[in-house]
Amino acid sequence: MSMHWAALLTNDRTSNSSACDMAGIALWALQFTPRVTCSGQAVMLEMAQSLRLFGGQAQLHTQVESGAKEMGVRFTAWAPTSLAALAFAEAGIADGFAKPLAQMLDLLPFDCLSAVRVHAATLARLGCKTLADVRKLPRSGISRRFDKELLLALDQAYGLRPEICRWITLPLSFAARLELPGRVDTASGLLFGARRLLLQMSGWLAARHAGVTAFTLRWRHDDMRARTAGEGGDITIRTAEPTQNVDHLCRLLAEHLAQVVLLAPASDIEVLATEVSPMAEKNHSLLHDTVKQSEVLGQVLERIEARLGKKRVLLPKLVEDHRLECMQCWQALDSPRSNAVINPTNVPQPAWILRTPLKLAMLENRPIYQGPLLLLLGPDRVEGSWWHRTQSNEGTSQSKTVQRDYWVALSVHAGALWIFQQRLDAEDAAWYLHGHFA
Amino acid sequence: MPAVTQHQEAPDSLPKDALHQHVGLAQLSSRLVNAVWRGSDRVNAQHAVVPTGFAALDAQLPGGGWPCQSLTELLQPQASLCEWRLLASSLKRLVSEGGHILMVGPPKRPHAPGLVQLGLPEKVLVWLAADTPSERLWTTEQLIKANPRGAILAWLPQVSPEQLRRLQVHAQACDCPVFLFRPELARRDASPAPLRVVASLGMDWELHVQILKRRGGQHEGTLVLPSIPSLLAQVLTPRLLQPSQLLAKKETFHVNALGRAANQRPHQQLVSL
Repeated sequence: MSMHWAALLTNDRTSNSSACDMAGIALWALQFTPRVTCSGQAVMLEMAQSLRLFGGQAQLHTQVESGAKEMGVRFTAWAPTSLAALAFAEAGIADGFAKPLAQMLDLLPFDCLSAVRVHAATLARLGCKTLADVRKLPRSGISRRFDKELLLALDQAYGLRPEICRWITLPLSFAARLELPGRVDTASGLLFGARRLLLQMSGWLAARHAGVTAFTLRWRHDDMRARTAGEGGDITIRTAEPTQNVDHLCRLLAEHLAQVVLLAPASDIEVLATEVSPMAEKNHSLLHDTVKQSEVLGQVLERIEARLGKKRVLLPKLVEDHRLECMQCWQALDSPRSNAVINPTNVPQPAWILRTPLKLAMLENRPIYQGPLLLLLGPDRVEGSWWHRTQSNEGTSQSKTVQRDYWVALSVHAGALWIFQQRLDAEDAAWYLHGHFA
Repeated sequence: MPAVTQHQEAPDSLPKDALHQHVGLAQLSSRLVNAVWRGSDRVNAQHAVVPTGFAALDAQLPGGGWPCQSLTELLQPQASLCEWRLLASSLKRLVSEGGHILMVGPPKRPHAPGLVQLGLPEKVLVWLAADTPSERLWTTEQLIKANPRGAILAWLPQVSPEQLRRLQVHAQACDCPVFLFRPELARRDASPAPLRVVASLGMDWELHVQILKRRGGQHEGTLVLPSIPSLLAQVLTPRLLQPSQLLAKKETFHVNALGRAANQRPHQQLVSL
């Protein structure tokens, strides 16, 4: 079984890399393969098993390389063994599959392999420049004069001996922290750093085959804050459906952050996946993809709700009731949908209704609305519900009893209307407009 | 209405005669005559369309229905007048293919049981309660960009031609029809929407539809489309199918009541009696 290694080189050997960054990249890389290991300044991925899943070598390479660039990886190299990939990455050669491995490795300077680099001074005095020169030395001599690791590393790099790696295991929960490069004064400025953490989170989610339904962004104020500002703040963002889509999460976060005011400049941020639920992978269609669209619509509605506010994106729910205003209620996007079967009423219903019925003016004992009304059909008597009482603001309970005769009325200007006459109510016996058959 | 039918036929018949006179097309083969494009021809459908459910209207719309991938402006004398009567049958078709009905800033509360009776199940209805003009525009634009399945219905009473142009540019990449409802006052304003339709009510359960602007030749005259809202069709008695007759009897009391009657026919009948 041939191996397919990628080495993601994070920093120069000279500059010190931050440990947090390495762990983040390793976490992100877990979405491509479960075999991820860290060594020195590089994250190594073994991806022979993933080639087909991601659509072939070329696609996998572009996907990993573009993602790695976004995560702040300096260079990505590919080779059949992990040490060779690392050596190529340090030498700046991207594709280790171009020629046979031994030919390509022979040309590299010997200090590309860290186990050989330890003995750089001695080897240089022996006249060695490349790895080929080191290999030409007699093996028994090397094992006597140098340590065992040098021969082992050489053999492992050339694929002559198996490599042993400590694979990184997936943490059970996700929390990633990022120190911001500078003080950030505005809430929307946190977005750039948050995006990198969300990328890590999406890698973690993909590896767990899960989607996030709620995540928290925490920020900590820097040390020079005012005393009243407090330690920091947080914001929790919920989605209706579990998702791994970073772009969607970022847009939601941007909408929410637009409404947040930072009390003091922030110095570091943290992203936590607070609620995670398993997500079934979608089957990809062989033909034109139509399933995806409704999924996208849900995301757009969520984004609109984030901008407009709760209770502004509404879905209807039918209720079995005879009173027109109680037949339906409009619910927010994330409220549970019931699958109860409601028997539809067979009385003609208007398409628009008024929130509060409009009292109609009278002319010669007949209701008028934009001119005289012609009563076409009726009466449809709706009454009852004496048991339905609501508490008003003053604390007095109010009955929602109705006693109404509904009529279909026709107006020359406004078309067919649904109007009613309040019955048995000495003072309030009047006509009301309640709906439009538009 | 004989005057109207004359108008409708005029643009089709005139250029053909003119062509005959100038070139002597009688000698040319019929294939060649068909190959000549005349300015009065309606453009063939380049985009998908959704049939309106009214044969007379389909015949006049380019491609034979409401266009997808472009804006359609529907102008009405007042809001919540005849939206559902005009669109119900085409929306029903879109919903049956698994689409959603997205309502942006409707003027009144949509009544789901009533819409269910029109053939739009409550699961497909989404009410986006955007109030300010800028919120409505933003919401509409987001929806158009998302390219959902179904239809987008947006009530935009205050909108400038530049904003409409922006929506139209986005709509060209949107596979669902986009209906914008505007007041009839806007008919004199320029608009980048490729199809503009004015709809008003007739007395005897009918819609009067004028096509202000369409791709291809100008349309003159008014189309009269019969339409009875929802379940009323089942309960109306033959007498009630012609309310203008009933109203004519009362007209004597109410001639000076309020406003102008949309249909002057009752007066004429009174006179003839």
